[in-house]
Amino acid sequence: MPLRYVEPSSVLETCALLRSNRDARLIAGGTAVVLMLRQRLIDPSLLIGLRRVPGLDSITAASQWLSIGAAVTLQQVADSDRVRALAPSLAAACQEVGNVRVRNRATLGGNLAEADYASDPPAVLASLGAVVCTAAPEGGGRRIPVSDLITDYYTTQLTSDEVVLRVEVPLIDGRRSAYVKYRSRSSEDRPCVGVAASLVPDPQGWVASLEVVVGAVTSTPQRMTTATEGVVGARLDEARAGAVAAAVAAAIHPIADGRGSAWYRTQVIEVMVRRALAMVVA
Amino acid sequence: MLGPTVVAVAEMAPAPPGLDWQQTQLQLNHRRLTVTAPVTETLSRTLRCRVGLTSVRETCGVGVCGTCTVLLDGSAASSCLALTAQLAGVAVTTAEGLLGPDGEPGPVQRAFIRRGAYQCGFCIPAMTLAVHAALYVRRHRDREAVVDELSGNLCRCGSYPQIREVLMELLADRGGEAADGATTGGR
Amino acid sequence: MTVVDLDDRDAQDTVVGRPRYVLDQHIEGELHAKIVRSPHPHARLDGVDPTRALATPGVVAVLTGADVSGDASINATFGRQRSDQPILAVGTLRYAGEPVALVVAESIEAAEAGREGVGIECRALPHVVDAEAAGAPDAPQLHAAWAGNGCGEWKLRYGDPEQGWREADRVFEGTYWSPPASHVPMEPHVCLAAWEDGRLSVWTSTQAPHRVRDDLAAVFRLAPEAVRVQTRDLGGAFGAKGQTTIEPMAAVAARRLGRPIRLELDRDEVFLTIGKHAASVRLATGVATDGRLLVRRVQVVYNAGAYALTSPLAAGQGLLRAPGPYRIPHVEAHVLARYTNTVPSGPFRGAMTSQLAFAYESQMDEIASSLGIDPVALRRRNLLKDGDQYATGEHLHQLHFGELLEDAARAVEWGTPCAPAPPGRVRGKGVAVMIKTTLTPSRSVARVELAADGSITVRSSSVEMGQGSRAALTRIVAQALGVQEARVSVPHPDTDRTPFDSSTSSSRTTSSMGTACVRAVDDLRCQLTERAAAELGVPAESLAHRDGAIGPQGGGARITYEHLLALGDPPLVGEGLFESHGGLPAMDPLDVRGFSTVHWHQGAAAAEVEVDCETGRVTVLRCHGSAYAGRVVNAHRVRQQNQGSVVFALGQTLMEELVYDEGRVVNANLAEYMIPSIQDVPELTSTAIESSDLEAEPHGVGEMALPAVAPAVANAVFHASGARIRCLPLTPERVLRCLRENARADGGSGG
Repeated sequence: MPLRYVEPSSVLETCALLRSNRDARLIAGGTAVVLMLRQRLIDPSLLIGLRRVPGLDSITAASQWLSIGAAVTLQQVADSDRVRALAPSLAAACQEVGNVRVRNRATLGGNLAEADYASDPPAVLASLGAVVCTAAPEGGGRRIPVSDLITDYYTTQLTSDEVVLRVEVPLIDGRRSAYVKYRSRSSEDRPCVGVAASLVPDPQGWVASLEVVVGAVTSTPQRMTTATEGVVGARLDEARAGAVAAAVAAAIHPIADGRGSAWYRTQVIEVMVRRALAMVVA
Repeated sequence: MLGPTVVAVAEMAPAPPGLDWQQTQLQLNHRRLTVTAPVTETLSRTLRCRVGLTSVRETCGVGVCGTCTVLLDGSAASSCLALTAQLAGVAVTTAEGLLGPDGEPGPVQRAFIRRGAYQCGFCIPAMTLAVHAALYVRRHRDREAVVDELSGNLCRCGSYPQIREVLMELLADRGGEAADGATTGGR
Repeated sequence: MTVVDLDDRDAQDTVVGRPRYVLDQHIEGELHAKIVRSPHPHARLDGVDPTRALATPGVVAVLTGADVSGDASINATFGRQRSDQPILAVGTLRYAGEPVALVVAESIEAAEAGREGVGIECRALPHVVDAEAAGAPDAPQLHAAWAGNGCGEWKLRYGDPEQGWREADRVFEGTYWSPPASHVPMEPHVCLAAWEDGRLSVWTSTQAPHRVRDDLAAVFRLAPEAVRVQTRDLGGAFGAKGQTTIEPMAAVAARRLGRPIRLELDRDEVFLTIGKHAASVRLATGVATDGRLLVRRVQVVYNAGAYALTSPLAAGQGLLRAPGPYRIPHVEAHVLARYTNTVPSGPFRGAMTSQLAFAYESQMDEIASSLGIDPVALRRRNLLKDGDQYATGEHLHQLHFGELLEDAARAVEWGTPCAPAPPGRVRGKGVAVMIKTTLTPSRSVARVELAADGSITVRSSSVEMGQGSRAALTRIVAQALGVQEARVSVPHPDTDRTPFDSSTSSSRTTSSMGTACVRAVDDLRCQLTERAAAELGVPAESLAHRDGAIGPQGGGARITYEHLLALGDPPLVGEGLFESHGGLPAMDPLDVRGFSTVHWHQGAAAAEVEVDCETGRVTVLRCHGSAYAGRVVNAHRVRQQNQGSVVFALGQTLMEELVYDEGRVVNANLAEYMIPSIQDVPELTSTAIESSDLEAEPHGVGEMALPAVAPAVANAVFHASGARIRCLPLTPERVLRCLRENARADGGSGG
């Protein structure tokens, strides 16, 4: 089927194009879409380029939220002084994705929409309580928590005419966050295990809230609420961190792929959760 | 090399009927270039097969190896994962664009030659672009940061020790010759 | 840090990216071909349906095996040792990825689109991936002509093994596994073919232009002279381009359609064209308590893949190298290669040897550890020395294993403890040594032409593929002739214009072609001397050559080479031959003994590693390669070859494995088949050990350290952590499992 390429100049126009072309695909940096086109995994009749749509490429911060436009590249996120100060684990995770060429082109919105199970940013965004803001025709825009966005391998709850506008990361005083990426092969590998931890201490330095999200081990990032409950109100010492790590590892039934078997991932999850917790405590 | 202004590329390779073609105007190595190509055509294919730039080479086709590296508005990118149709108005720099105004090798290229930092050479033009971008576009000063950026450019012959020497030399030289590096290529 | 002494006029073209590979080559009016490949590992092929493909705009033709086998003027199969490989599959599909049809179109896009439209009708058959399993009586059989999937069998018996086993105080046994792997040259295979007046002309990315010429001549039943094969520089090869692979397909299509054909592989297709022999090596060694090796039994099964390529003879090369670089009075060796439904295996940098060295050098450390002897001391006690008899019965000379071992040990400060590791991590060091034969028999011819303008052209079929053969031959000829390197040029191989060479492989070019070049220069100099003697009216014996001129030995008026040729004269041509005889083809496969090789490749490696005990991840902190180089022609190139071979080996040591699932390769791409990046490679050091004889022949060094790297790293991992891994690659998962098992065993014994 012939394939056209268009560049709409507004969000509204983009939504309208999506609605009238059900098999259209949005394309920003192209690192995922072009790969899928090349491998003939998709066969759209229309590609909608987002680069002329205004308002998608800025990083702003208010008192409550850090807002990152959907078309901001992963390298821009990693390099942003604002992100490094307010959400250091997000900057670190974006710096770990692929290689510099991919990071220069791939966008944060595209990364979430692709919903690759072996990608770094989704787990971190989920651990920070980030929310995806979307637009859809007839005012159908939504706010979707990142932890609910990805529903399966390469699948999100975005509808076919919905456009990601930005990602908002809530800002919490004193929050400490970390992302640990474990590669089992080359330095260029995707994560075998990715662990994002986000700790909000109370005034005594004890745990007011703790989020641990494990990426790359199942179809979707795993948010481990039960495993972290026990340490709320307590000091996160080595023993408690170890207990959380063991509980997280026990709760996840990981997949097997070229980066490691299920058994191996279980071992590594425990180690990496411990290391991530040590980073947020330190 | 390219003509001074516009190259009517569509005539070089006829359109297979049934594919949708699009005309795109970009800036290739400081020259205006109009390309007519299928919408699905990658920049790597446009540059190699239509424009005839032999420095752009596709090895993996999945953005991992870096042999098809180009600079898009100064930033390193995999041309195998960029659609030409998406690049209207974008400045594209290939290794040919790192040559000095006289057609002689630019500073990064000279450093590779001086250090003999190549074996089969297939990955090297792309490697010079990656070094250029890391040192003179992103302006890294720290060797580890540069090595981190270069880790996405693979060399199967294993010329990494000599490539490290190139980096050390260029980092040590920053300020003098390095300054022209920033202006002669990748504008 | 030294600035390179490299008068290499190719440097600029290389770095800037000017045309120099076959990939950069086009023929006016060329059609583009794409290959349709078998989706099944083993199947009965009932038919190919080209209908939809032919309806694709731009598609000109779809060729199938039936088109080839139906043409009486073509041999439908090819292969030098066994003509078992169909140009396009006929009747049976023997591996997932085997070429079934060729779609030819006016553009690449149309060929790619057409490829999607070819239907393959077939019925799946049981398949076998593992070479040991392929030997079972009820295993699927690949070739009717080769019962039991046999693809080469070699045996050796030396001394009296039974006596050895009786005398041994201790016997060590183990099985060591090397997986299938891929060469991953950055430039894919590419071939252009065109016919003119019944003559076939081919441009192809090959390491062996004459081999491809002869194979194509056999396919089309032509005299070799009716086929012209040209190549340019290769963007890496590592053995992947040493055999005829895609050329017959391109040539058949070009003849059929009467137009030039260009066939360039996609990356996944490179993985599916040729790979490394997986191997299991079962090794038993009997030793005396003082560490002397007394007897060894080695049983090797190589996985040949679906077609023979070089496997039948290569298995014998494996046998020659299997005993290892040690003095062992009693040896029995049995080496097999078997067909399986996998990608055909072929020469691979460190060919057939890496698998063996991983076994015997890992076991050497197991013996050392068990006997409480230092691993370097144990090797020192047993290494072959000049004049020792080898398991083939021949006495070996020019051996340097002792120096290589000491050099490698010194490079990692053997005997000095490692610097303390961070918490949760441990460090250790390891060494290994290896022995390898080179291609024997082989033949290389060189012609050196002197033109009236003083320029010198070296006609050689050696292929430049990153190893620096052009620079080496330039230097050898310039030095032998006493002229500036700038006057010497070495054009690309062209079987119409460059004389015969067996192949650019087996690290043989500097030595074999180098020797042929020196002899060609000698011949040229004799001719020049005769001319000068006639011109000067003096006896030839009274003349000497110096700085591109000839004059009386004691000094006096001299005539330059240019003056000896009048303008307009044809160039003066010297010819030189290197030829070796004997070797494996002259031996009885089931009773191997005799002269194996013109010289022995000798190398060693050492590594220091850090192991993360919680994840099993191995980080190589430093790695050293030592090679015996004879005489060094170009120190920079030697260093690059040596260190490059270490980088290459680190890939197979730590991360590379071609993975099969249900008989299909599941990681035929660089996102899932990972090769080392600059960050994966530590600071490397290397040494090229030279002969004390200034006239010694230069040895290639591209593979010498390589086979020793994996066992050196594995031994370092053992030294660091106690984990003995007998399967490559040394993945973190394998290391962690072993650490856990060791911990359990210690706990079980009351620890």
